[in-house]
Amino acid sequence: MSENVKEEKAYRVLESHSFLQRAMFRYMLEGHAASEEGKLAWVTSGFPVEIPVAMDVGVSYPEQYGAIVGSEKAGPKLCGYAEELGYSQELCSYARANIGSVKHPEESPLEGLPAPQALLACNNICGTVLRWYDAISQMTGAPVFLVDTPPLEGEQLPHHIAYVRHGLDNLVSFLSAKFGTTLEEDKLREVTDLSTETIGVWTQCLEACKNKPSPLNCADRFLAMAPVVAIRGRDYTLEYYQTLLNEVKDRIANGLGAIRNEKVRLLWDNIPPWFRVFRIMGSLAKRGVVFPADTYTHAWTGSFKDEDRMDSIAFMYSNVYLNKGLEAKVDKMCDLIKDYDLDGFVMFSVRSCKRYSLGQLVSKELVSQRTGVPGVVIEGDMVDSRLQNDAQVETRLDALLEMLL
Amino acid sequence: MGIGLDLGSTTTKGVLVDKSGKIIAAHLIPTGAIASTAAENVLEELTKLSQLNLDDVSTVSTGYGRTQVKFAHESITEITCHSVGVHSLNPGIKLLIDVGGQDSKVIRIGSKGRPTDFELNDKCSAGTGRFLEVMARVLEVSINELGPLALKSKSPCPISSTCTVFAESEVIGRIGSGESPANLAAGIHQAMAAKISTLSRRVGVASPIGVTGGVARNPAFRYYLSGNLNCDLWMPEEPQLTGALGAAILAIARASVF
Repeated sequence: MSENVKEEKAYRVLESHSFLQRAMFRYMLEGHAASEEGKLAWVTSGFPVEIPVAMDVGVSYPEQYGAIVGSEKAGPKLCGYAEELGYSQELCSYARANIGSVKHPEESPLEGLPAPQALLACNNICGTVLRWYDAISQMTGAPVFLVDTPPLEGEQLPHHIAYVRHGLDNLVSFLSAKFGTTLEEDKLREVTDLSTETIGVWTQCLEACKNKPSPLNCADRFLAMAPVVAIRGRDYTLEYYQTLLNEVKDRIANGLGAIRNEKVRLLWDNIPPWFRVFRIMGSLAKRGVVFPADTYTHAWTGSFKDEDRMDSIAFMYSNVYLNKGLEAKVDKMCDLIKDYDLDGFVMFSVRSCKRYSLGQLVSKELVSQRTGVPGVVIEGDMVDSRLQNDAQVETRLDALLEMLL
Repeated sequence: MGIGLDLGSTTTKGVLVDKSGKIIAAHLIPTGAIASTAAENVLEELTKLSQLNLDDVSTVSTGYGRTQVKFAHESITEITCHSVGVHSLNPGIKLLIDVGGQDSKVIRIGSKGRPTDFELNDKCSAGTGRFLEVMARVLEVSINELGPLALKSKSPCPISSTCTVFAESEVIGRIGSGESPANLAAGIHQAMAAKISTLSRRVGVASPIGVTGGVARNPAFRYYLSGNLNCDLWMPEEPQLTGALGAAILAIARASVF
């Protein structure tokens, strides 16, 4: 009976998901253990995490927790608690959900994140993180450290990278003083090598989607990205991606796509609506629509190659996708459309994420002009489902598909 | 034959066409609370008007209530349907501006009559028929009288509020200060035309421009919009029926596949 039900699904479920679940569970347990030992730091998604990891500090990611809050459909509740404290609904819903879960852990999925002893923010993804972590600091008493990566327009100048590098040296001093550990060069080398290798395998998984049919849909990649975001520099993370890559290669060898009947290939831009993404992707899969590439999962790329690993870290983290201007975003989208042979694109305008969403109406026109393919902008949020209207989203997606199918 | 049903938020429209796309019968009623009932009522009326048996005629539904019509064979968005409908009436039209009761849209129509780009405003009532309804009530005229009233003005009174609700308060305030209803009506249409023009520029203004939807019937709206875009506008004889017409034409096309 369940065999038949499986066959009817328009999309294929990945076997390696069970490994993924174990990896994420382990990450959670390690976070709790570190907190109990007084050695846990909360970090932002773009933080140069290899440094605290090399210094034996445990890490937890409030943004990854935000994805869980969204998927569990607890967004309105937790964001509501933050709003009761006076935070605006205009504020990032990851921030609101996190603040809400610190206020009411008993009402939060997994009873919230383990208590932090330090808060490590890097503003390469946005400026909101500093004030968000300041708010958490007031609530938990943990001190904040900011790695400041000023935004880039064009080439990075020497004084810019020197500034970031200086900030990293200060980070090491801060972590030393707070946690009583030191940064050993070999350990840093080991951790960054693991990160580089892991990201390399992850990148191969992404690039495999150039294949027709695409072996992964964006929903698969949104789940699979969790370890490369939250558990970098660890051996079991590398093992997971090796497992995933093997499964991807297997699918390609057997002509199996992520969805059964691939007809239209699209680009997805921005963070997904965690509370609705699987339903949206499932229903599009039934119509033969797959997303072989997206800007979100493609943002976790790069490698640490310099002799001086701290220099590598300074470069990599100050040059992330979101730290660059609109032109870089447009270039990236056009490249993905060309390299993955895509028929169109969907830009998700996330109310919460101004850094990612600002400029989409302009970039939509530019991308269409440069690539010749049509696109659509849909509006909503990644966690706060109150900000999303399903019927409006469906009308726009349907209209785009009517142009393509 | 083909039937197209356009279930809008304010009105439901039905069109019956022959196999060449020519209209045999058409009807329009308020949608009311239940879209599917409105659809059934429109179908009944089309049957009466045409004096034909319409069972088994290929039917396509469109509009926000399109999935509520169980007896439709397919549902297609109003973006595609309006494009196809207008193209069948005037193949030269490149930009279509449709302003309905609760939303507005701009559509670039390609050479094959299908959309190549579009933008929707379904968030803000200030660019929709609802805005004019509210204002007509405040100025104590019927919706049909509002346009001609505005055209009497030589000196539109600018409305600074962008929101329908606050604009309503602003207009009430100005009436109290003795501003003339005609000037206020003109200001209202100017504001609306400016919003729609901005939306149009998103997809690129390309002549000739067509206007459809209930609001297209308003002569002051067309006057101010035309001025703002610096372009002549073409309006079909029945500007509210183009969505249903397009749906009916698509109904013929899908039937010929089977």
